[in-house]
Amino acid sequence: MDTPDPAKKFEPKEYGLVTAVPQVHAARFHPQGTMLAAGGFDARLRLWDLAGEEPVELPSLAGHHGWVQAFTFSPDGSRIYSADSWGQIRGWDLTNDPAKLIWNIDDAHDGWVRDLHVNADGTHLLSCGRDRRICVRDTSTGECLFDPILHTNEVFCVRYHPNGKTFAIGDDRGTVLIIDGASGKTLRRIDASALYRAHRLQDVGGVRALTFNADGTTLAVGGTVPKNGGSVQGTPTVLLFDEASGEQKHTLGFGATTHCYVHDIHLHSSGFVMVVTSGTPGQGQIIFQRPEEDKPFFQHTKIPNCHSLSFHEPTGQLAVAATNRGSNGNGRRINKEGEYEGNNSPIHLFRIDA
Amino acid sequence: MMDQSALCRPWEHTISRRQFVAAGAAATAGTLGLAPFLQTSIAEEVQKQHKQVLFIWLDGGMSQLESWDPKPNSQFGGPFRAIATSVPGIHISELLPRSAEQMHHLAIIRSLCTQDNSHSAGVARIQRGDPKDRGVTYPYFGSAVAKLLGPGKSGLPPYVWIKPGSGGFMYKDAGFLGPKYGALAFGDGQPPENLTLHESLTPSQDDVRNRLREAANQRYSNRRRKSVTEANSYVYDMARSLMKRQDLFDSTQFDARDVQRYGTHEIGRHMLQARLMLEAGVTFVKVNSYGWDTHGDNFNGHASLVPKFDQAFAAIVADLADRGMLDNVLVIAMSEFGRTPRINGHVGRDHWPEAWSLAMAGTGVKKGVVVGETNDKGTFVKDGEFDIGHMFHTWFAALDIDSRETAYNNAGQPLPIAHDDMQAIKDLLS
Repeated sequence: MDTPDPAKKFEPKEYGLVTAVPQVHAARFHPQGTMLAAGGFDARLRLWDLAGEEPVELPSLAGHHGWVQAFTFSPDGSRIYSADSWGQIRGWDLTNDPAKLIWNIDDAHDGWVRDLHVNADGTHLLSCGRDRRICVRDTSTGECLFDPILHTNEVFCVRYHPNGKTFAIGDDRGTVLIIDGASGKTLRRIDASALYRAHRLQDVGGVRALTFNADGTTLAVGGTVPKNGGSVQGTPTVLLFDEASGEQKHTLGFGATTHCYVHDIHLHSSGFVMVVTSGTPGQGQIIFQRPEEDKPFFQHTKIPNCHSLSFHEPTGQLAVAATNRGSNGNGRRINKEGEYEGNNSPIHLFRIDA
Repeated sequence: MMDQSALCRPWEHTISRRQFVAAGAAATAGTLGLAPFLQTSIAEEVQKQHKQVLFIWLDGGMSQLESWDPKPNSQFGGPFRAIATSVPGIHISELLPRSAEQMHHLAIIRSLCTQDNSHSAGVARIQRGDPKDRGVTYPYFGSAVAKLLGPGKSGLPPYVWIKPGSGGFMYKDAGFLGPKYGALAFGDGQPPENLTLHESLTPSQDDVRNRLREAANQRYSNRRRKSVTEANSYVYDMARSLMKRQDLFDSTQFDARDVQRYGTHEIGRHMLQARLMLEAGVTFVKVNSYGWDTHGDNFNGHASLVPKFDQAFAAIVADLADRGMLDNVLVIAMSEFGRTPRINGHVGRDHWPEAWSLAMAGTGVKKGVVVGETNDKGTFVKDGEFDIGHMFHTWFAALDIDSRETAYNNAGQPLPIAHDDMQAIKDLLS
């Protein structure tokens, strides 16, 4: 970086807030930065128009069940694909107002679809589910292009390499496989097992975030180095690998075990790592750190439980989806109206002017 | 020692004079074992049938929403689907596919509303049945059953506990019943150390040695409180009985198919050993699993934990049914509470005693039923709210122990075996 004070140069300045009720897993910017999408606990994909001064909520995309954890825009922004925890995947045309369903696969997976990602030219959609299957789909129909890849473990994350020819999958045991997109064959196995621990009866951790840098030379794998299961504590961690060789280059740990998981990663074009963490209720961090340095140059700890980070570099917009304060507690919590309250997700909107 | 005179008296509650006299007379007899504490006719009936219990304790709190009472596609329902079971109309979480196939053996109660939302109070309160406070520490259910049903004809300890971690003799479980009725815990299913007779000793030498011990114990006990000395002797007797049954700890005897069916994980191994203990005639077998306190990452946690429980639980229910043992064995699977409908910022669920579930099977229990109902969001009980006291009455009834007519004798003080103001849940009983 060309500034002596990167903390100031890249300091995010909050300019807006939208609150999703109930909670959402993640909020992501449209490729043009004009829209925000968030998938959540109520089987909806929420949309906000960001073109004006204030975010304006658009009609939600419905028809799902359970949780909508996975969704992704097409690279040109004309479509969005959404998936739910009951195995359904849907393709939507965003050029229509309101967005129009263009295809639907009810039983795309047997149960929880964990992640979706589209390749660089927008023709293929990757999906992975709790059924241990990974599918390469035709984005025009949603159908699988070849038989699903069967994995021995549950796959949490999928990401296309920027070259569009290969993709990475990360599983619940901390293994990353680099797969040939045309044949489905495994090209390389990358060991991120530091992010996994068998504790008592529970398999804890696994690959919770996965991303490439813009030229595809670096693969970032995020999660926690687990201390225990149950209430799950561990050190939020990002492992950086040389994509071509699979060699681990850096291990970045982000604070106490109560901070627990790195839930999302962005590799900034200036070479630093942007992450969010979430752990014990109330604990959340936004962190920017250069891989070669031993501590962050920017650390924000006032937003509890940060679950996603979306950075739109062309406009400098940053969205962080979190959880409200006071989200936990044993036993009854009744509001003044005598109702049992759930939680919500404040989605913080920042701008980085650099 | 506690001042007995300060304790409440039976006529202040609901124990009848007849019961008081019976219990008092039994205590006066001063003999050890079952008879002093039970009416003779009940004791005889129990001995004839020898009921047993398999008590599966999921420590920390299994989520009812990710197990027996799913609320799919609702605000707090989480990501998982509900699946059909072998009983038409009954659905449970998709994380329990094998248990779903055994539903025709099971009874689920979905309307438990207990009081404590902390582990420290909840575990003891639930396992002691939360009777009215009479200034005494009530026994855990295992100790209660060990007392009320006795060891049967097996000669084995009546209350064994297969648990992760270390083992030992857990006398505190017994409360006022005295240490004799504590749990003999097998850490990771392993036998107590030094169980085999030392190679330098012959069995006849060991018999001589043991007679000497008994004589010394007798002299010792003449000058001390019986509850202490009998526990001391009892531990030795247990050790001797186990020395003759080392097969109970030999995991190589299991059919490889059974090992796979139950699962090679901790709860699978322990449940298979529990089957062996039940087959050998142990009255009360507790199997513990730890790590269910999922304040964080609840859904991935339950996606990992519940299928392992499911595998082991469904296997033992099926095996006990195949062997005809469900006619005599009461199976209970539960935690100290459920988990909050609300999902916290760590994507976890906290403690929730307000509306939760447990599963049962076996002797005295209706098959293929669900009792009680929570509201659509799963937040509170909608119909048929029951506390742990109701469950103790129900379990005793399932074991043919009349919890209204039976009383403990605590040094002359008759005490009800379950909460005075509660009763058995008839809809759960066959």
